[in-house]
Amino acid sequence: MTTAMTCTRLTIFTVAGIFLQIIGLSIFVFGFFPVKPTLSGISGSESYRDPLCDSSSNSNESELHSDKLRLHYQELSGIAMVSGAIGGFLDVAFNFNTQAFLEDNLLGQFFRIGWKMVMLGDETWLKLFPGLFMRHDGVSSFFVKDTVQVDRNVSRHLPDELNSDDWNFLILHYLGLDHVGHTGGRNSPLMAGKLKEMDDIVRTMHLIAVMDRNHDQGQTLLVVVSDHGMTDNGNHGGSSYEETDSLMLFIGLGSNFSDYGATINNVAFQVDLAPTLALLFGVPIPKNNVGVVVPGTLSSLGDYEQLRALELNSWQLLRLMQAQIPSSLFEGFSCNCFVDGICEGLDISECSGDKEKQLICLFRNAALLHHIWKSKKLTKSSGAVEDFSGALDAYNAFLKTASEWLASKTTEKPVFLLGLGLSAMLLSCIVCATLFLSLFKEVYHEPKDRVCSLSYRLNLEEVFIFALLLILVISMGSSSMVEEEHYIWHFMLSTFHLLILFKTAKLFDFSKGRNIVGDYKAVSIFLLLISGRLLRGWHQGGVNWTYLPDISKWLEQVGSGYVKWIQLISNFLVIGLGLFTLSRTGSKRKSVCVLALGFLTCGFLVLLHTGRYQDEMFGVSTDFGATVLVKVIYLLLFISAIGAALVLPWSMLNKDKSVLAEAGDCLYLIGSAYIICWCLLHLLLQQPINSGPILLLLIQILAISCLSSNDFQVNEWVEIAALYYMGMAGHFSLGNSNTLATIDVAGAFIGISSHSTILSGILMFMITYASPMLFLLSLVMYVGAKLRNQSHSTISTHRETSLGQILKLKLGFPCLVPLCINSILLTAYTVVLLLMRNHLFVWSVFSPKYLYVCATTLCTYIGVCIVAVTVTYAFFVTTFRRSNRTTRHDNS
Amino acid sequence: MKEGKKKKPETSIGESISALGAFFVYLITGLFLAVGFWVVRDKYSVDLISDPSLTLRLLWMIEFPIVVIIFSLFRSNPKKCSYFRAVGRSIVGLISGAIINALGAVSLGAPVGMQSLPKTVHWSFLMSVFTVVPATAVFGASWTNWHRVFASLKPTGNIEYMILIPAYGAIIGGWFGAWPMPLDWERPWQEWPICVCYGAIGGYIVGQLVSLSLMIFLRKHKNLKLA
Repeated sequence: MTTAMTCTRLTIFTVAGIFLQIIGLSIFVFGFFPVKPTLSGISGSESYRDPLCDSSSNSNESELHSDKLRLHYQELSGIAMVSGAIGGFLDVAFNFNTQAFLEDNLLGQFFRIGWKMVMLGDETWLKLFPGLFMRHDGVSSFFVKDTVQVDRNVSRHLPDELNSDDWNFLILHYLGLDHVGHTGGRNSPLMAGKLKEMDDIVRTMHLIAVMDRNHDQGQTLLVVVSDHGMTDNGNHGGSSYEETDSLMLFIGLGSNFSDYGATINNVAFQVDLAPTLALLFGVPIPKNNVGVVVPGTLSSLGDYEQLRALELNSWQLLRLMQAQIPSSLFEGFSCNCFVDGICEGLDISECSGDKEKQLICLFRNAALLHHIWKSKKLTKSSGAVEDFSGALDAYNAFLKTASEWLASKTTEKPVFLLGLGLSAMLLSCIVCATLFLSLFKEVYHEPKDRVCSLSYRLNLEEVFIFALLLILVISMGSSSMVEEEHYIWHFMLSTFHLLILFKTAKLFDFSKGRNIVGDYKAVSIFLLLISGRLLRGWHQGGVNWTYLPDISKWLEQVGSGYVKWIQLISNFLVIGLGLFTLSRTGSKRKSVCVLALGFLTCGFLVLLHTGRYQDEMFGVSTDFGATVLVKVIYLLLFISAIGAALVLPWSMLNKDKSVLAEAGDCLYLIGSAYIICWCLLHLLLQQPINSGPILLLLIQILAISCLSSNDFQVNEWVEIAALYYMGMAGHFSLGNSNTLATIDVAGAFIGISSHSTILSGILMFMITYASPMLFLLSLVMYVGAKLRNQSHSTISTHRETSLGQILKLKLGFPCLVPLCINSILLTAYTVVLLLMRNHLFVWSVFSPKYLYVCATTLCTYIGVCIVAVTVTYAFFVTTFRRSNRTTRHDNS
Repeated sequence: MKEGKKKKPETSIGESISALGAFFVYLITGLFLAVGFWVVRDKYSVDLISDPSLTLRLLWMIEFPIVVIIFSLFRSNPKKCSYFRAVGRSIVGLISGAIINALGAVSLGAPVGMQSLPKTVHWSFLMSVFTVVPATAVFGASWTNWHRVFASLKPTGNIEYMILIPAYGAIIGGWFGAWPMPLDWERPWQEWPICVCYGAIGGYIVGQLVSLSLMIFLRKHKNLKLA
């Protein structure tokens, strides 16, 4: 940048960069999360009918039954096993308020036909399928070090369960083997013993199953499956062969395999388990299943049943295909032909052409052969055996192709879109960084620019801000660090505060003795440290360490009375601090008094709401009085904030102050109005326990503003970056995490009388992003405070500069720094997500985090937009009035 | 600059110490740290992982006397301040340094609670031995010296290098040592304060090495200047 950038150019470039980012982000999201057309609902009796026939030809099926099923899982992480579907991420996102698995699945189907199910093992099952199990004993899968107790907890029930007759379906989930792998690797000394233990359990169960059969108590199918393999170190999560290779063993199908080689080389996919079990037990195949029945498992059945099972599977896949293939391709397909037997026009044909046509053709062949075999069987004509094997092969061919096609449809990613989106984001990131650097150069090297971009020595804090960014970007690559992201924020932020403390100590001058300013600074920093520590301890967030004690758990344990007290204290203190900040400008204008009165009223109303209604928190939407009260509070807060922003610049009148000082005063007031309104709103919306953190966050903001107004030797952009970081740390201390489960849904219905997705969505966004937004809003106050400070010292230097120049210097960093940090994080995380697209946790860890990153981006845009608009408006109004006054003055 | 001949640092009086002397001081402190670990392992048959608080207690109890004995020899202003006074004030320094270290650790996120209290206390005593105790023994209550060395980072003379660099090494090492704690590796040493302790000891040793090389480098530099 050779010439100084004008304000207009800066704005245009920034807006262009943002737009580029939005476009890139939406392209990427559209490409990465393809909205696959899944079928909602649950397979019922319609799954026994041909999807191409509208008329229900009721072929009442004699289903295949065996009595008991013992499913012996060694570990589960794949939903794939029970639903047969490959997870689409957005489905999870849309059902975020529950951890339960809502899609059509095998367990649900069993439940629907009245089966009694028993589950022993990982408690994840209970979270996924609440209420389905008659008896259960869940064990937390958390203690990975424990390789004995987890399995003993499952096995101790085994004798009882095997002796009792009341269940149809028993799930044993042994976690120990996985834990052995995690602790000691594939060649762990514990491994042999653990495998032996597993073998013994399988043997016991098999013996009992054989005994049952001998006593004519029906057949039992024993299925042993594992959900993943492991690397030599015992880890899993990647996509290597060792990790994805797993086992599926069916014992007790009744057919005597003499050829063991055939059974060993039988390769199937995990998604194949669901249709196989569904068909074996005669329940409808889950709707979004893309698997096919495992060949060989049906061989104990008769010819008719075998073909019927394949037909059902084909119909189910065909239904899924119908959602993705234009229906015109299915034309020329009369179902009457199969029912009435008049399909002379159709012939077995060689299938060629594009994939969709080929699939339909394959299905038609199979259906035709099946029909021919049926009609021959009826007439008892010869050649039935050849036709049977022909139909079998045709069905298998169709199923295999269809399954592959469907699976590729759900996982394929348009590379072009991804690349386009990513490059757009990269470009916008570069634009933001360039703008920031040019502004940086201009501000910190104002006198004749030498070639000094390298010679500029970064301070310790500046280096630290960059290091924090770098560490964040690096840590995003590890799934456990994404889960425990709050540790990084809190740790780094406390370190930052300690660095500031160090710097203050360094600048402390003994010769002057103890001056008040230095003490204020130390007190503010200690306040920052203490409130930061309390915020960190308030919610033990994350995934792995949630069981550790924290303040919120402790308070809830002690009793709700304490929570009430905290709410009360926070409420009073927030109002008190608000009035204190308002009074700090020293102006006793009417407008300020009105504003203060507005806050007092709002605070009082919030208190009233807390006292009266919050006990029946969840019934709030039904209570008319509460809803009206909440609406009144919303309205009042809205009027206070918007009114302050609109009116205050007009009402400030101070002849002996410069324009800048006046604008500074005004912006300071507006900023404090914003944050007080926001805090009061959140005292209302957030869970009662979160009122403490809200107060602490407010204290942090005030402490930082106190620091920066007291001749704080830290660069402006460092302070803004620190504010942004504090906002992010506060985000986690309000109980949020990078999983979708922590979003507070209950709060999203406060004050809404009718169910409206948009309104609740907005409320939910506000609740989740309370802290980043608070800190972004505080930037208005920050800008004001800076202006007031500077106008005391350097009134004369800015006299002649134009409005645009002032705006650029004052508003440049508060807007550019958050945008820059955010765009860097967004771009980096996009790259991480692309790299991790084959990771086991891509849907469970990385994608939720990506949603959060996108929402943070949105939050940053909104916040920066508010800041920019407010500051610009205030400046324009102040200068306009000043020039008006001077012209009037000149005229008179 | 021929003081390098003196083999026993104990005989040197006042503030001056040669690089070789510093080397011996470091050797002795390092040796006692090793002795501490040996005692813990062979006499009590525990280690840092199985019983952190006992281990840390033994470590600082063994390390503290030797640090005090050595650094009190280098007390500034030895005329006015007797040896025993230096020892006495370093005990005060130990306690106040422990409090500062504990507060720092807690503010950075060390767990607060009755369970982790003994660990935190003993860890902060050990950190105090590394960081504050040598400085108290040497500087006493001379705040200007403290400020000059620790805040302004302007040490003069070898003994101040010996105080400053290992102290900051221990702090920075401990800071980096905290990094693996939130990871889900399920290793026993990820508990507070074990890896922080390893980090601090590692940083302390690295600091000693750095200060030693700095001393040698600076002496050469000075010699060159003199020549």
